[in-house]
Amino acid sequence: MTVIEEATAPRPGAVRAVSVAVIGTGAIGQDLVSKIHQSDVLECGLVAGRSPESAGLRRAHRLGYATTAGGIDAVLAAPRPFDVVFDATNAAAHVEHWRLLQPLDTLLIDLTPSKVGQMVVPTVTGTHAPTERNISLISCGGQASTPIAHALAGRFEVEYIEVVSTAASTIAGRATRLNLDEYVATTQHAISTFSGVRDTKVLLNISPAVPPATFRTTVHAVVPGATAEAVRAVVDEAAARVRAFAPGYQVIGCTVEGDRVVVSLEIIAKSEVLPPYAGNLDIINSAAVMVAEQHAARLALAAGTKVGR
Amino acid sequence: MSAVVIHDPTLRDGQHAVRHQLGVAALRGYAQAADAAGVPVVEVGHGNGLGASSLQAGRAAVSDDVMLSTVREALSTSRMGVFMLPGWGTSDELRKAVAHGTDVVRVGVHCTETSLAERHLEFLREQETEAHCVLLMSHMATPEELAEHAASAVGYGAQAVGIMDSAGHFLPGDVGERIGAMAAAVDVPVIFHGHNNLGMAVANSVAAAEAGARIIDGCARGFGAGAGNTQLEVLVPVLERTGFTTGIDLYALLDAAEFAERELMPAPPVTGSLSIVSGLAGVFSGFKHQVLDHSARAGVDPRDVFFELGRRQAIAGQEDLIRDVVAELSEKAGA
Repeated sequence: MTVIEEATAPRPGAVRAVSVAVIGTGAIGQDLVSKIHQSDVLECGLVAGRSPESAGLRRAHRLGYATTAGGIDAVLAAPRPFDVVFDATNAAAHVEHWRLLQPLDTLLIDLTPSKVGQMVVPTVTGTHAPTERNISLISCGGQASTPIAHALAGRFEVEYIEVVSTAASTIAGRATRLNLDEYVATTQHAISTFSGVRDTKVLLNISPAVPPATFRTTVHAVVPGATAEAVRAVVDEAAARVRAFAPGYQVIGCTVEGDRVVVSLEIIAKSEVLPPYAGNLDIINSAAVMVAEQHAARLALAAGTKVGR
Repeated sequence: MSAVVIHDPTLRDGQHAVRHQLGVAALRGYAQAADAAGVPVVEVGHGNGLGASSLQAGRAAVSDDVMLSTVREALSTSRMGVFMLPGWGTSDELRKAVAHGTDVVRVGVHCTETSLAERHLEFLREQETEAHCVLLMSHMATPEELAEHAASAVGYGAQAVGIMDSAGHFLPGDVGERIGAMAAAVDVPVIFHGHNNLGMAVANSVAAAEAGARIIDGCARGFGAGAGNTQLEVLVPVLERTGFTTGIDLYALLDAAEFAERELMPAPPVTGSLSIVSGLAGVFSGFKHQVLDHSARAGVDPRDVFFELGRRQAIAGQEDLIRDVVAELSEKAGA
């Protein structure tokens, strides 16, 4: 049985905002709710988890949102389909969620590394005009590294790209831990697709350091004939564009030795929910919310109304 | 007398000492020699395991496929083992290893991150391949934590569970305490894998066996990163004298070690200054070559680099931190 709790406080606003639901109440789900809360055009209609006791559901409830422990069933049971559903569960569950949501007129935004939907990296693909209704945000490491891989391949002849990311243990939940294979495969697929480089590799470390280490990604590339100055310029330009929506995205190191290029990045989270070291979750969620907001703008245009609340 | 199963990662962990450059002839020759000595398990692969050949950790001279088929062909009675770090290797690599006739798979995780192995241990049980779980950098956890993580690993399906002293940081008392706690917590064989940074590898292994470890790792001539691993041909007779049976033929084992010294390594490992420092700093010995390379280029003291990596609690796989640390120390020195 699915029970949808009523929100504790009524949401103001006469004009209909774009209605969204979030499935998954881990660190990603919680930060998504917080980012949606700050959005002028997105109205969170439901936060769905599986355990009524979860901290994520309690937090959403405190913010005044309807919550349920009924998962996807509760999302489907809503009187009117949500305009946007964010999936912050796991790769296997996402496949089922997409099957169930496909018949509805809902944009599904996937935060799991399922590899099912159309891949979006804001500075590479843009976020304004996805042609499909299932959007893949690839992975946190994919969001961090693809802009650099894409920029290097756009400027140089790149023979090989390898991406090594290290995330703090404290923010790697059970879904992340069970989805390491999917993380590797999906991130690698994105790197190859957007760089055009066939030979790619993706590695992931989970760091137990105390205090937790800031999320970092290192992009190794084999680039014959690249100079340090030219690489640095390309990398800085790409990073500046990412900072437009993920301000904590920083180039820590950029070296060229012979044909080996090594670019190290750290991402500091600017979030009300996440600790500063969780920049990986901040960048993927910021990208996801951008996709939803662009979708809202498109819906408003189609309806000939201004969306707001 | 209790029996101890010797597990020989010469052709896997030894790769760290030669930047993962072992060729087909070396792999075949050593596997045949170890097989002739009756070594129960011969482990092969890139130093960081399946799928780990990379710019981050070093590219192997030979592909995983060729390594596995070469060693499989060379073994008649010994079982073939492989190693895999989740996040570096995936189920695809495990599937290939199983197809190559791998008998024993070790899934390695940082000592407090056992849940990273859940998926792959379950996969291996489905494949009916013997699955071990090894906890890396085990000096970074208490005996109680290790016992708890060992029990979790068994819950996920591990048929043996143990610790690697990846930084060569332990003294015999530390090992006895940890192995004892783990042996009390699980009903599967407990594994000990030593490194020799502080000259303690054989003594630590004996302490492990006395505390209840039933699978002990050793490499020919101690072939391994930095100061090397537990020296296999010393370990075996010492265990026998202590009262443990290994079933290994001593003369044939000594012959295998001769082959290893001649064909696998430029020189047997020594406990050099940097290995002592990495042991004290509690940093993975496999970082040694990259620390030396980058330090020399930047003109910083590699000992400072190891201590700073220890302060940052770098774990195996985080080689990309070495550049950052060297750059930072170099900047400080110049300031």
